Amino acid sequence: MNVNRRQVLWAGGGIGAAVLLAACGGGDETSSDSPAKANEKPRRGGTLRVGALGRASAITRDPHGTQANESDYLIISLVHDTLTVPGTKPNTVPRLAASWKASDDLKTWTFTLAKGAKFHDGTPVTAEDVVWSLKRLRNTPSGASRLPGIKPENIKAEGDDTVVLVSDYANAELPQLTRLTTFVLKKDTAEKDLGKAPGTGPFKLDWFRSGNARLVRNEDWYGGEVYLDAIEVKIFESPQAMANALLAGQIDVASNVGAVAARTAEKRGDIQIVRRPNDMAMPIVMRTTDGPFADAKVREALRLAVDREAMVKQVLSGYGTVANDILGTGDPAYAKDIPQRKRDLAKAKQLLKEADFDLSKTYKLLTTEDIPGLAEAATLFASQVREAGVKVEVVKQESATFWEKTWLKGDLYTTYWGTNDSVVFFASKTLVSDSGQNEAGWKNAEFDAAYKKAMATKDAAARAKILRELQQIEYDASGYLLWGMADGIDLAGAAVRNLPTLPGYGRVQLETAWLAR
Amino acid sequence: MAGSLTTTAQHEPAAGAGRLTHAALSAAGVVVRRILLLAVLLAVVFAAVELLPGDAANATSERGESAADLAERRHLLGLDRPVLERFWDWMTGLPTGDLGTSARGESVADLLSRPFPNTLLLGGLALLLTLVASVALGCWAAAKPGGPLDRAVSASATGILALPEFVVAVALVLVFALWTDWLPAVTLTDADGSPASWEMLVLPVLALAIPQIGWNTRIVRAALADEAKAPHIETAVLDGLPRGRILTHHLLPGALPTITAGLATSTGMLLGGAVVVETIFNYPGIGSVLAGAVADRDSPVIAGVVAVTGVVITGVLLLADLVRAWASGGRA
Repeated sequence: MNVNRRQVLWAGGGIGAAVLLAACGGGDETSSDSPAKANEKPRRGGTLRVGALGRASAITRDPHGTQANESDYLIISLVHDTLTVPGTKPNTVPRLAASWKASDDLKTWTFTLAKGAKFHDGTPVTAEDVVWSLKRLRNTPSGASRLPGIKPENIKAEGDDTVVLVSDYANAELPQLTRLTTFVLKKDTAEKDLGKAPGTGPFKLDWFRSGNARLVRNEDWYGGEVYLDAIEVKIFESPQAMANALLAGQIDVASNVGAVAARTAEKRGDIQIVRRPNDMAMPIVMRTTDGPFADAKVREALRLAVDREAMVKQVLSGYGTVANDILGTGDPAYAKDIPQRKRDLAKAKQLLKEADFDLSKTYKLLTTEDIPGLAEAATLFASQVREAGVKVEVVKQESATFWEKTWLKGDLYTTYWGTNDSVVFFASKTLVSDSGQNEAGWKNAEFDAAYKKAMATKDAAARAKILRELQQIEYDASGYLLWGMADGIDLAGAAVRNLPTLPGYGRVQLETAWLAR
Repeated sequence: MAGSLTTTAQHEPAAGAGRLTHAALSAAGVVVRRILLLAVLLAVVFAAVELLPGDAANATSERGESAADLAERRHLLGLDRPVLERFWDWMTGLPTGDLGTSARGESVADLLSRPFPNTLLLGGLALLLTLVASVALGCWAAAKPGGPLDRAVSASATGILALPEFVVAVALVLVFALWTDWLPAVTLTDADGSPASWEMLVLPVLALAIPQIGWNTRIVRAALADEAKAPHIETAVLDGLPRGRILTHHLLPGALPTITAGLATSTGMLLGGAVVVETIFNYPGIGSVLAGAVADRDSPVIAGVVAVTGVVITGVLLLADLVRAWASGGRA
């Protein structure tokens, strides 16, 4: 009952406030451009107050736990470093690991630690610390999915500054796996000290209380100059409250606050809207193994029946981009040259006819309200495919029911992914025949072969070519209909500079931010 | 035990000095019964979470954990044990103040240690404001029954009590924070986990209290009207006693049991409303803990919240019963 009430509240409160604000916004139609100028010299000093989403009941301090709260993850990633971090091009860049190289069979990967890396208490980081941390991570219940193919006994130290990981199979993209969760703590950190254990990151923990924290600059950080004196992280349960706090000047950054808040902020000249493209994929999954969508022609027809521009405009309020049914749009290896699929109702109808698709039936599209826009996307999709003669009824499921009963099993459902910067990520997790989260139950021998070949190819150019082939197969035959990519949206006060624009977890890289005041 | 106490209470002579003993004994009986009721309620909480789809292991896992990983997590959280056993373990920890561990490995007592006093502060202030405002407004309206003031107060009270907390809250934020910039829009906490300034309490307290003021003003007004029909009031009026004296010495004491009952009911509504209001104002209370815990199927956290709020509501209801027993002692 509480959950229902909360949902009503979010919807009602959000819409109410947005409408009222829009009404009183006046004639100022110019959306706020970033006041930051490229030639500004970074200034040292100041405290950045950052709002991040999280729930008090879900607080976790364990860097190797499952962090449901963005606020917890933000704090952990500013205090502790991972071996590598997300980048733009390439999408994996050095952090605690300064460099890495692979053996010829692409199974053994050697990481060299950054020179001068020290914990906040002054002790140097050793390979033993890293090995202990990686093994601890690998031995958590989520460990096998975070470091796939790497057994705990295959994580070893070599000397003081070298760590060797041996994969069970060739993996050309292994360093990607070390980006998000490989937080390094001191060897033998006690369980009870996890929350206050010294890290190696750009900021040191000053205090933590009930999800809120104050972090102060690490003057000795090996990773470069940190400008901010301090970062204060404030936990927010609702994006609406976080947006209000920003509009009222109580915080400087509202992290991942969403499109509704951005629309409100458009009316204000003193707020920066930071768009982080390729942040969230909300594909529609069509089951390929059996059921009404098993025929590839039917899936192709639905992909041709959807009006992608309209979806982006209406579901995402324009804060997004049209996509082409290939997952991993933020990857430098993403195949931009594959022609954009466009709406073609005549061809869709033709394909449905060829496939002998039963147009008299009504098909259920299962969805949730887990993230904003998901259920709306389903509804709009249903009305669009109706024009091709396909009757779709949207059924909203409660989150837990959906994940238990529908996900990986349903014929037609919506899903969402917040990690979108790599084609290989999706190939390995959701597209290869035997992948653990094969959402559409897709089995394609050609695709599997291309994936294996790419993973065993050391030469980057040759691998890119194979990845292009792999994406062509995905485009032609997979069970996904990816109509668009939602932007990640942060709001910031006028004085904030140099916020990260990477999608997904890249939003936490605040070490380069500074304040012009 | 509850039975024996109530029986004793019934045999106690209800006159003179015995009245206090009577009240104390029946209060003890009530306490015991309410504690049992609370235990039943907690059992219902565990059972209800069990009936919801999904479980805490599922809710706190990452996508892509295999069935074996999930089973391991389930085992770590003790979810593979029968619900009765888990409930019993949790209940036996209660007397020592051990509220168990959340599905994410944090101590529930720690999770509630700051939010609970914060919610008590918010609810307490809202209750106080409700009491003062509704008695004042009720008396004011009752001073001239049927007059324009009475009609205005009664009509607006009805209107206000029909407003849900979230409408009041959103309106307050818009007007007092975003348009006029007089008060903070949300509550931020400082290093000790409490609101960083007193101004941050103003809007949440108002948002919680306003609907309850509407409700209680009507109760006060109606109770005073009922009381005014009593023969001794008519006598007092005919005797020419000043109106103020009749109100404070005759009307209000007579209406007190009803007013107290109304406020006691509001306590539950205030704590329920706190879930909504805390979310809108980002107030660091147990409302947000509860909402999240339900989504996570986190029985120990949900039960912890229910237990502490249950104790508070029981305490307030008991206090209300005592006040009523005392106020209506001679007549009931």
